Amino acid sequence: MPTLETRDRPLPHAPGREGAREAATLVLVGNANVGKSVLFRNLTNRYVTVSNYPGTTVEIVRARADLGDRTVEVVDTPGINDLSPRSEDARVARDLLLESDDATILQVADAKNLRRALLLTLQLAELGRPMVLALNMHDELEERGGRIDVEALSEILGIPVVPTVAVRDRGTEELIEAIDEARIPRRFGRILEGNDEYARNRAALERVTDILESTWAIEQPRHASLRVRLGFWAMHPWKGLGVLGLVLGAVFWFVGLLGAGTLVDFFEVAIFQQRIGPLVIRFLDALLPFGHAHAVETVAHPIGLPVTPVHEWTVGTLSREVVVPGYELAANGAGAWWPSVSRFVHDLFVGEYGLITMGLSYAFAIVLPIVTTFFLAFSVLEDSGYFPRMAIMVNRLFRKMGLNGKAVLPMILGLGCDTMATMSTRILETRRERIVTTLLLALAVPCSAQLGVLLAMTTALSLPAAMLWVVVIVGVILFVGWLTARLWGASSSEFVLEVPPMRWPQASNVLVKTYGRLKWYLKEVVPLFLLGTFVLFVLDELDLLGRIADIGEPLVTGWLGLPSDMTNAFLVGFLRRDFGAVYILDAATGPNAVLSPHQIFVAMITITLFIPCFANLLIIAREHGVRVAVRMSAFIFPFAFLVGGTFHQLGAWLPIS
Amino acid sequence: MAADLLTCPLCGFAFEKVDTLCAHGCPLGAMCHLVRCPGCGYEFPEKPRTVSWMDRLLGRTATGGADLPEGVRPLAELESGAAATVACLGGKNGDRHGTLSVFGFLPGAEITLLQQRPACVVRVGETELAIDADIAREILVRPV
Repeated sequence: MPTLETRDRPLPHAPGREGAREAATLVLVGNANVGKSVLFRNLTNRYVTVSNYPGTTVEIVRARADLGDRTVEVVDTPGINDLSPRSEDARVARDLLLESDDATILQVADAKNLRRALLLTLQLAELGRPMVLALNMHDELEERGGRIDVEALSEILGIPVVPTVAVRDRGTEELIEAIDEARIPRRFGRILEGNDEYARNRAALERVTDILESTWAIEQPRHASLRVRLGFWAMHPWKGLGVLGLVLGAVFWFVGLLGAGTLVDFFEVAIFQQRIGPLVIRFLDALLPFGHAHAVETVAHPIGLPVTPVHEWTVGTLSREVVVPGYELAANGAGAWWPSVSRFVHDLFVGEYGLITMGLSYAFAIVLPIVTTFFLAFSVLEDSGYFPRMAIMVNRLFRKMGLNGKAVLPMILGLGCDTMATMSTRILETRRERIVTTLLLALAVPCSAQLGVLLAMTTALSLPAAMLWVVVIVGVILFVGWLTARLWGASSSEFVLEVPPMRWPQASNVLVKTYGRLKWYLKEVVPLFLLGTFVLFVLDELDLLGRIADIGEPLVTGWLGLPSDMTNAFLVGFLRRDFGAVYILDAATGPNAVLSPHQIFVAMITITLFIPCFANLLIIAREHGVRVAVRMSAFIFPFAFLVGGTFHQLGAWLPIS
Repeated sequence: MAADLLTCPLCGFAFEKVDTLCAHGCPLGAMCHLVRCPGCGYEFPEKPRTVSWMDRLLGRTATGGADLPEGVRPLAELESGAAATVACLGGKNGDRHGTLSVFGFLPGAEITLLQQRPACVVRVGETELAIDADIAREILVRPV
């Protein structure tokens, strides 16, 4: 998961304990979806990521808070169910509690779901730290006709207990006062001894049931709200498929059409080609003059809103006459050393492989709009609680691949960024599942940047051909997944997943999460785009591009049937797959289109399956070791060409063009 | 330790003999050759019935449906909307038991079945849990 590092402040050096109750650090602990992060924001007035899917806030968030007359370091932890280090989240929370041994623990509980909260309370009590219990969502308990005897509960546990409603900022003042009174809870240790986690939980739950009997009551809701019904539909055997279709359709419209179409047009044409490009060209021409003349072309920017992949609701077209990067050298321009240096610098920035005209324009005009819309859509779905329901829908299918439904989250995130998704495979339980998911991601899940470019390419294909591409890629995922399940022979780990309640996504949550992911993405992608462009530029300057094209010719031209300069696409594809795809897009639909629909189809399949980008490879090596990364590459590289070449050879029988 | 583990033929729960639920001071005492599973309360002879090659061929294991005591059914056979109490978590005593127990899903817990397909979803208290169909076949419940 992406981090919001800026929020991560270092712990202050242990301040002298002025009083017994001085809380240097306050650690928020609790189950998932109990409103910890909102309460954290109330206490600190600093916003953090709030997530609905159990296991997304892996990063720890810290902030200062002025509680009364003191300044306290408040730490938010990922949602946990118990202190056993089963998941990465629980390990993080546990380590954090163990290392900050002077911390006060603020446990946040869902007042409606007190049983699970108290199970955690009893385990936290074992740590022997001062504690406060916040009964959050107390209003929802009251709406359900429930009640909690707060005083009795406080008496039994031996710690202050405060009802709160974090989303309405109610009870925060009382909570701050209670933090001053934090006490070390009564221990129920006697019944919790033993090594067997199950036996301990069982004993603890019996004790919890006793406590609840005298202090807590709730009634089942009489009628289901729209939200609750929506949550049921989303995992209904056939209504769920409808919801899945609607969700995917909406995401496709938003990311594929609006992001990759309208917004990319706007940034690429209206911003880069019409404004920034000419501006930089003129500036460099004035600064480093050498005898050359740029061509002037009319660049049109259609303004409209996409309706379907082929229909657009057009508002108008904005045309401008601008200078373009291409130029002709004046007759007397060559020879002298100074004009050569000028030309070199000029080309480095605004030439055919210029850092600005190619590198930055690819990164910001083509990739950024697509990635932004994707992460926005992803954050909305994540915040709504839809993903666990999606996992339920696809569980059966994934079982065939030796995975379970939980693997759908990395796969969907992979449609945004495979590198990020590879990191999120940590939520899967066994190493085998993590590696298989990583392999499928690296092999066949195109990241949003690549996907956007590929979708743009499908416009040059017929509908059956575009559908065939989807079928081939999905088929490859299923086949390779099934093959690994067969070869490794193990069944998937047991699928038990908490289904959080559906909720309306909150704008602030969505924006903060999108911002964090975008920042992470840009930090990674822009340097690589610039590096990729620079490598191309140097190869071009040294006249090596032609020679590399010659080397790759047997493979690219002979086997795949593509023009030899497509070798460059695969060459830059090593740096980023989407970069390679953009290169093919240019050859497919650009001003000087050279590819036939059949060649586009073969190139699309090959580049989709092609080796993961450099950053992804690094992360694979980091997560699973260098050997795994090398083996995966050794499989993916020939496999991509094998599949691509097979479809080239089958050419005549395919429903293309 | 592994040698001392008994496996309940009903629910597959593995436990040590000392954990058996038999009441202390039972008049049968040492004469009794039955043990009671702490997972589901099923009583069975300490030496499990052997599964013949014929049974295996027919895909039958010791947990055959015919052996289920009165009123106990696999979770996978419960109807949507039905309430039940959990009798036994099934499978080997391990990760699954730990995972389920933190959600309060334990023998004795009251659950409501929300749906069976595409995955079994149950409500335990205020928590909704999705459980794979394979696990749901091994979990035993008593419909209320």
